[in-house]
Amino acid sequence: MTTRKRNMPNFDHLTDKARIIRKHVIQMVSRHGQGYIQQGLGAADLFTYLYFYELNLSPQQVGNPQRDRFILSTAHNTAVFYATLAESGFFETEKLQQYCMDESTLEINASERLNGLVECTCGSLGQGLSVACGLALGFKKANNSARIFVMLGDGELEEGQLWEAVLFAATHNLKNLIMLIDLNYMQVEGDVRSVTKIDPVDKKFEAFGWRTKTVDGHDFEQIFSAFSDLNNSADAPSAIIAHTIPGKGIDFLEGQKSHNMILPDEIAEKALQQLEIEQ
Amino acid sequence: MKKQKGPVISNIDLHLEDFSTKKGNSVLPKPYGEALYAEAKKSKNISVLCADLTAATETDIVRDYLPDQFIMCGIAEANMIGVAAGLARSGLIPFVHSFSVFLTRRCFDQIAMQIAYPNLNVKLIGFMPGIDSLLGVSHQATDDVALMRALPNMTIIEPCDPTEYSSAVTLALNCDGPVYLRLNKNCPSVPTKYALSTVERGKFGLIKSGTDAAIFASGLCVQEAIEAAENLEHDGLSVAVVNASSIKPLDIQMIKEMAARTHCIITAENHSIIGGLGSAISEVLAETGLHVKFKRIGLNDCFAEGGSRDYLFDKYGLGARHIMQAVHALKREHNG
Repeated sequence: MTTRKRNMPNFDHLTDKARIIRKHVIQMVSRHGQGYIQQGLGAADLFTYLYFYELNLSPQQVGNPQRDRFILSTAHNTAVFYATLAESGFFETEKLQQYCMDESTLEINASERLNGLVECTCGSLGQGLSVACGLALGFKKANNSARIFVMLGDGELEEGQLWEAVLFAATHNLKNLIMLIDLNYMQVEGDVRSVTKIDPVDKKFEAFGWRTKTVDGHDFEQIFSAFSDLNNSADAPSAIIAHTIPGKGIDFLEGQKSHNMILPDEIAEKALQQLEIEQ
Repeated sequence: MKKQKGPVISNIDLHLEDFSTKKGNSVLPKPYGEALYAEAKKSKNISVLCADLTAATETDIVRDYLPDQFIMCGIAEANMIGVAAGLARSGLIPFVHSFSVFLTRRCFDQIAMQIAYPNLNVKLIGFMPGIDSLLGVSHQATDDVALMRALPNMTIIEPCDPTEYSSAVTLALNCDGPVYLRLNKNCPSVPTKYALSTVERGKFGLIKSGTDAAIFASGLCVQEAIEAAENLEHDGLSVAVVNASSIKPLDIQMIKEMAARTHCIITAENHSIIGGLGSAISEVLAETGLHVKFKRIGLNDCFAEGGSRDYLFDKYGLGARHIMQAVHALKREHNG
């Protein structure tokens, strides 16, 4: 992996982009009255950082074999994913209105029908990291300098296949593989810790031979610093463990652990007002 | 170092490969492994994956002679399928190996989502299908064809003779999409008086012609079908034997021809009678409205047990004598 020259991100710009993306998330989900709103608001800063700073990936590079790859293993977290793609210019923001509509390629679980922007179809949890491993190994063999980013949820750490992939990545020294764990302690049943003892997450990955960095997933400076350190890392795959808060950005939604939440119009309106005021 | 006592045994190869190795014959031919090696040597894009079963899947040749093209995935089949998908997306052509049962039953969702749905150029190579193992029910793939057949984009090929393995590999390579090869180690040869045609996608091979009944058989059951047909000649019945090596897609033309000619169709497979070759052919017969007498030979909706091939085939009704009984019964119905 070549070390890219890294300019400092414009943190104010990232903050503003994240705010706009959160607005899209509210609008997209409110059209249906329910959906993956908490996850979208929680991961908005991570998506913003990836697409507006870290990834070597732009609309002009779709189809370029050297582009960085992003795999969304938690494929249901699409409101924020599609909003980020639209804001990054991969398609018009008007298209976001088709989210989850019949015939739309913007399905609630991202699929390859969204041609070229979804690297593999996840949704059945625990599979994204395995495909990322295959891509990373294939690129390593071909001396392709592209990096493979994969975003996982913490609930997904309960899947057995995930740990098969964690072993594989370390065995094959996949240093071009960077995993981002959206650690919001939320799964369908509620708090992940009430379902499974997943802590300490960082120690687990370190024991498996990975390099880890734990960050506040809403602090762009911390996120940037973690990625910068890992970019200069040794021969090992990397995990960035980002603590995020479901519903982040809307005070009355923050911290509510709800996998699929009802979002009536009046609540959506209040939420949007709050995002406007912050401007 | 402590001096060893007793006889030195280090020069004797005590390595057992997969419990199908016959006593006193530890060196088995590797028709698949040789064919794969020949193709991999020609094409650097071929990537060979295995889950801790190199000797049993004959991938030890590539492991030893083309190590750059070999990837050991450990005992982690689900991950191996995802890795293969990623490798295919990076431009390589993965050949993925394990026992049929682990490759298909254990990894069904992974194959569906990461290989079949995106129609990736990944080859799944399963060994020891059906009830052909001392290792018992955990190692017996009796539903693998049913599973793989239900997946869109999947091609399923089951050769019946070691000489067909090379063309099966070529077919897999020439097919731009997922292929499941169902292979036996220590596969017996079809008697040399019968000519085998090259394995082709969507084509069956006519091994023996006949007018009174036709047996569509796959894999090890082809041998049983030949033996049955030869014995039935002595009973005055002219019975065709078809090598149904292309289980998906089927050779519809051949099925129609045989149905029209014989009005009496038997299927024989080393697999459950549910969802496999017999089911597939019955669907064709039913939908084309061809009225025939029909019987499926296979594992009769049950799990089996560990045992020798001959013992299990006899106990579970997959042998030549069971096929003969089925033909006689159908002919009685047909004539009565």
